[in-house]
Amino acid sequence: MSPRPALPHLVSGSTLETGFAAQAGRMAKAALHEIGPAGPGAEAAAMGFALALTASWNPPAIFWAGEEAAFSEEGAPYPVGLAQYGIDLSRLIVIRAKKREETLWAAEQGLAAPGAVVLCALGARGKALDLKASRRLLLFAERNRSRCLLLQPEAGPSAAWTRWRIASAESDGIDHELGAPAFRAELARSRAGPSGQTFLLDWNAHARALAERALAGDLSAATRDGSFEAVRARAGR
Amino acid sequence: MPALSQNARWLAIYLPRLATDRLKRSGRAPGDDRPLAIYAKQANAYQLTGVDKRASELGLHLAMSLADARAIQPKLEAVEAEPEEDARALDAIAAWCERFTPIVVIDPPEGLFLDITGCAHLFGGEDALRDMIVARLYAQGFGARAAVAPSPGAAWAFARYVRKPNADLEALAALPVEALRLDPQAAALLRRLGMKTIGQLKDAPRSAFTARAGERAMLRLDQAYGRAREALTPRRPPPPVFALRRFLEPIFTTDAILHVMQDLCADVVEKLDIRGAGARRLALVLFGVDGRDRVISVGVSRPEREVKALIRLFREKLNVVAENIDAEFGIEAARLDVVHLAPIAEAARELVVSEEGCATPEQISGIADILSVRLGAKRVLRPQVHELHAPERASGWRSALSETKDAQALKPPADGVQRRPIRLFSPAQPIEALATVPDGPPIRFRWRRVLREVARAEGPERIGGDWTEGDATRDYYRIEDREGRRYWLYREGLYGEADTPRWYVHGLFA
Repeated sequence: MSPRPALPHLVSGSTLETGFAAQAGRMAKAALHEIGPAGPGAEAAAMGFALALTASWNPPAIFWAGEEAAFSEEGAPYPVGLAQYGIDLSRLIVIRAKKREETLWAAEQGLAAPGAVVLCALGARGKALDLKASRRLLLFAERNRSRCLLLQPEAGPSAAWTRWRIASAESDGIDHELGAPAFRAELARSRAGPSGQTFLLDWNAHARALAERALAGDLSAATRDGSFEAVRARAGR
Repeated sequence: MPALSQNARWLAIYLPRLATDRLKRSGRAPGDDRPLAIYAKQANAYQLTGVDKRASELGLHLAMSLADARAIQPKLEAVEAEPEEDARALDAIAAWCERFTPIVVIDPPEGLFLDITGCAHLFGGEDALRDMIVARLYAQGFGARAAVAPSPGAAWAFARYVRKPNADLEALAALPVEALRLDPQAAALLRRLGMKTIGQLKDAPRSAFTARAGERAMLRLDQAYGRAREALTPRRPPPPVFALRRFLEPIFTTDAILHVMQDLCADVVEKLDIRGAGARRLALVLFGVDGRDRVISVGVSRPEREVKALIRLFREKLNVVAENIDAEFGIEAARLDVVHLAPIAEAARELVVSEEGCATPEQISGIADILSVRLGAKRVLRPQVHELHAPERASGWRSALSETKDAQALKPPADGVQRRPIRLFSPAQPIEALATVPDGPPIRFRWRRVLREVARAEGPERIGGDWTEGDATRDYYRIEDREGRRYWLYREGLYGEADTPRWYVHGLFA
């Protein structure tokens, strides 16, 4: 699967399209996106969402540059599980950086590979990335037509094209089975189109596609146990 | 006769007063003009094994008994020999000589061989090189003589027995047989047979002679004339490919070093080109004016043969180590060694045609190389998958520089079920869990001080521990809590084995 072609949204008027497919199409073009947990404990979901996007783009290389602290707090990448998740292991390079500067430097180096996806994962300790640093990542990505997914627990001022708040969503599986990985993804900000929507998404690792779950299921699930409100409340809105 | 390299050039260094020079340098010899001699116990008597210039002028010579020497020169300062210290000094001089060529052979007790084939022009020719070495050694306190010849044997003879610096192989004939590096008995035997010079020995009928004088003298003769190969072991294994530069003025800055790297890399790349190979591991050796050398090593994940790429790698590495180079007195020479090379499959290289706008595998490994150089090979990793059951050992990481094959293509399962987490805790993190059924999944558990209510659970998947590691059996559950977060939990030990089962979070699913 090759990267989706950039949508000429100003011409076609596709900015009006607010479905997840349209949003993801815009993301495929733009270069820096911020993905954060909707609340404490949602870091694994945020990383899962970032990995799902990455796998769906099928890039020639995946650089996962993380702060050592982030690896010890949130667990180290696990190759067997990543392969099951749809990540092409032969294209994955993991960088365990000691310090934040090293992480950012490594991310910039990775972005030099045209078409690559760089997962830049910052730990909970330390401030959110500032505007200058995020702008650098954007520049590197734009110059080489690569993509950077910035993962950090707290949102800061950012040059990112989109900002996502990710929480886990309840399984869609029957009975007590755990179904496909599921996310509640809120598009908190978008420079390329409308924002503010929340998508309920299931990850199909086999097809490498994020699919929107039927809205009815979303509403019923959210109203049934109130988890939707809980998620929003944790996100501070 | 085996054909030898026609253009081989060897430089032999002879340090006749190594022991006394070393002692004087170390400050342990008398500072005044008293004669200095070294003695050792030989055949139950103390004999002189080293004399300095002054002692020599006063009539003292090697193999003289200490008692005799003292009788002639009552003021003699005599020090017992320290052969190990002398060997160490010789090794240090050999190390220093590596700035002229990587192939330096130690020829104990007081000699060195330098293979200067193809090196001399970098130092203004053989004569200039030889004179420079002798002068620099003298400045460091070591009296030395040196000579260049097409064979180590001839160079050895010239350095010890010829006064004029320029000699070719014809000059060997006039030298005494001792110049063939023979032991004293063999030389004495030859003399009794009337063979006083190498020329006489050379003209003697070989067959009849060999039996009496021994194979060894004839071998040494052939080696001196370059008719027989001589196997010498360099102090350090020489790199298969190297390039060397000496600077007229010492250099100090990283920029200056990088400037020199242009030349060195170009040289090395040219040599690699001829071999159809690329560099996998390189070492930049910087020779300080202070006599110390600094080595900067760089590894590459696939054979590299591009000047630009090599320079970029060294630029990163130098940026990191620049503070530690500490070139207080400057760097006077630099050598770039290709420590490890590997063939480049030309055809395969050309066939790699990437999608437009997509990084090539070469580009990607180039980036991995730069990351490894700057951050360390242990921090830039590619995944590996093993055929092992224990989750911690089922996969691992290898340096992006290592040559191991890529992880085999593992595909997502067709049913889309995620059986293994995307993140793994190592070691697993203990939790407090409450299970309704003793051997069932927990209904709630506390991890990181937060109580989590289990909404769904799948399992158990029993994973036997490794006998050799003394692991207990584990029952794994895939758990989803009320908020949709997913965990990989396990209970350690079989039910009934332990009084209170212990629970752990081993990983997280997305």
